Amino acid sequence: MKPAAVTKDKAQRELALGSATLAIAAVYYLLAIRIPQSDIADVIGAQGLPKTYASLLAGLSIILIVRAAMARRRAAAPDATPAIPKPRLQRGVAWRVFGMLMNGVIYILVVPWLGYILSIAALIAATVYYQGGELNRRAAGVAIGGAVVLWLLFVRLLHIAHPAGIWPSLL
Amino acid sequence: MTELLAALGSLFTTPIVPAAFGGVTWGILGGALPGISPSITMALLLPFTYGMAPTTAVVLLASTYVGAEYGGSIPAILIGTPGTNAAAATVVDGYMMKQQGKGGEALGISLYSGFVGGLFGMLVLVGLTERLSSVALAFTPSSYFALGVLGLSVIATLSGESLVTGFIAGVLGLMISTIGTDPVTGLNRFTFGSPDLLSGIPPLLVMVGVYAMSELFMKTGEPDWEKATLEDARIKFPSPAIWRRIALPQAIGSVVGAFEGMMPGAGGAVSSFLAYNEARRWSRHKEEFGHGSPEGIAAPEAANNTVACTALVPMLSLGIPSSNSSAVLLGGFLMHGLIPGPLLFVNHPDVVHGLYTGLFVANVAMLIIGYLIMSPCMWLVGRPKPYLMAFIYALVVSGVYAIQTSLFHVGLAIAFGVLGSAMKYFRLPVLPMVLGVVLGFVVESNYRRALVLSDGDYRTFIQDPIAAGLLITAFLFIIGSVVRHLREA
Repeated sequence: MKPAAVTKDKAQRELALGSATLAIAAVYYLLAIRIPQSDIADVIGAQGLPKTYASLLAGLSIILIVRAAMARRRAAAPDATPAIPKPRLQRGVAWRVFGMLMNGVIYILVVPWLGYILSIAALIAATVYYQGGELNRRAAGVAIGGAVVLWLLFVRLLHIAHPAGIWPSLL
Repeated sequence: MTELLAALGSLFTTPIVPAAFGGVTWGILGGALPGISPSITMALLLPFTYGMAPTTAVVLLASTYVGAEYGGSIPAILIGTPGTNAAAATVVDGYMMKQQGKGGEALGISLYSGFVGGLFGMLVLVGLTERLSSVALAFTPSSYFALGVLGLSVIATLSGESLVTGFIAGVLGLMISTIGTDPVTGLNRFTFGSPDLLSGIPPLLVMVGVYAMSELFMKTGEPDWEKATLEDARIKFPSPAIWRRIALPQAIGSVVGAFEGMMPGAGGAVSSFLAYNEARRWSRHKEEFGHGSPEGIAAPEAANNTVACTALVPMLSLGIPSSNSSAVLLGGFLMHGLIPGPLLFVNHPDVVHGLYTGLFVANVAMLIIGYLIMSPCMWLVGRPKPYLMAFIYALVVSGVYAIQTSLFHVGLAIAFGVLGSAMKYFRLPVLPMVLGVVLGFVVESNYRRALVLSDGDYRTFIQDPIAAGLLITAFLFIIGSVVRHLREA
């Protein structure tokens, strides 16, 4: 990628980041001013530092946005560099990353009723798939073996009560 | 001498030896997996230390750090892929030696140089830490606030290519630290009525999320790493001639590592490359560097293992973590109610002495385990990446749940994994945010306590000589970084 294109890509990224953090600062500030005042509050109070942090973040975000906008203008102005395709996250990979995230979310939702062993085995199998592995007998073996090893480690050895769910009734 | 005797005593009263051996084993295995850094290896272990005695827990974590620094050199030498950032300098000559059929010798040089560097780092740690913290009893809330600010000023050095993004990450961390009960009035802040948030967000969850969980997400879609055969992996003792040749690079690596370890943001990777460069400069065989030079392995490996000890100097004495790994270790201290910093030596000398002993045992253990673990280590590195990642994901989820048997915490760790991934995408440095989370409470509570004690008089921060000194140092630190960034721009 040519330097101008690199600068433009970086500027766009910083612009997006600055906008996101500015929004976070605004929401955080609005929540901070809703913290109730206490009769026994000190001179700073419970709202004091949160409001300062929000202002700091807003200020830094604005600096980032201005800097990114100026860099983008500089990158675009001098020469008309032909558009170079940006290295984007491939759609397949993005789905896999999303799948990895959903694995964890679904695990949290199902573990209370499915139980630890079954849920963690399913989590392992699904992760193998989203990490690019094939769902075959070997993967099933790894999932079941892994679940048993973790169950032995946490429940039997460390005595940590993970949710039992329907598992005991299946035995 | 008293410290040494106390440290020796702790060897027999707490299970330090098994903790050190266990930590080194885990560290070597984790460090040997490409992409799993020492901080991630330590973060994976954090939840398991929850139920342990404080000394055992910190020894286990610190030993993991020691083991991971050596573990990173194994794939660097055998497959040309560094297991950790710090092992990147070892690839240059290590992989070349392996291609010349001297892989076993390269592994031996790496192991012994790491041992030498680790012992030197230990001496620096024991010699400096307690002296630095000897001003403990003079600390007031103003001084603690100033110490927190000094810790936060480290962000300026850790910000990488952009100072603004570093400060943004730091402020985000400070914001996260305000969630929970207000330290002075007891009011609830940003809890949205959830009882799970009343005690705030434990730094541990932030670390597991942004280091371990986000790495799992970001590694998705990356190709599997190259596999090595067991025949490559038999460690050989360096010959006396090689010993003589690597003595100077080991000394250079140890000295460079000692200085760099204490510098905020430098860490193992910077020190390894600096040591490599210096060893080359002082070598009689400059031409061999880059073509399989034993000196090119000895210097960086001695340096990164020295860093594993000396990075603990600012963390233990001032409560300021200078690297990702020492930030995770700090998380381990906090989880057990231990506040690193001046009063640690007054309130918990047993833990400090136990840690010293544990680090010494860990360095010895590295020599023994380094030999024994090579076969299982190569077996592990040889497993398909999807299976390893799946097992690590399951381990993280189970470990986080085990801390307080809370699925809410598992959800939080996943949420911080998403945040960590987004930060990596936007090139926001992670360590400043972790610093903000860890130091946020210290800064806010002491700032407000100091003002309560002085009836709202802000001059208290200037009138207290320790506070004034620390604040001036922090100010100079930030100004220095700003000037450096402006010059580079």
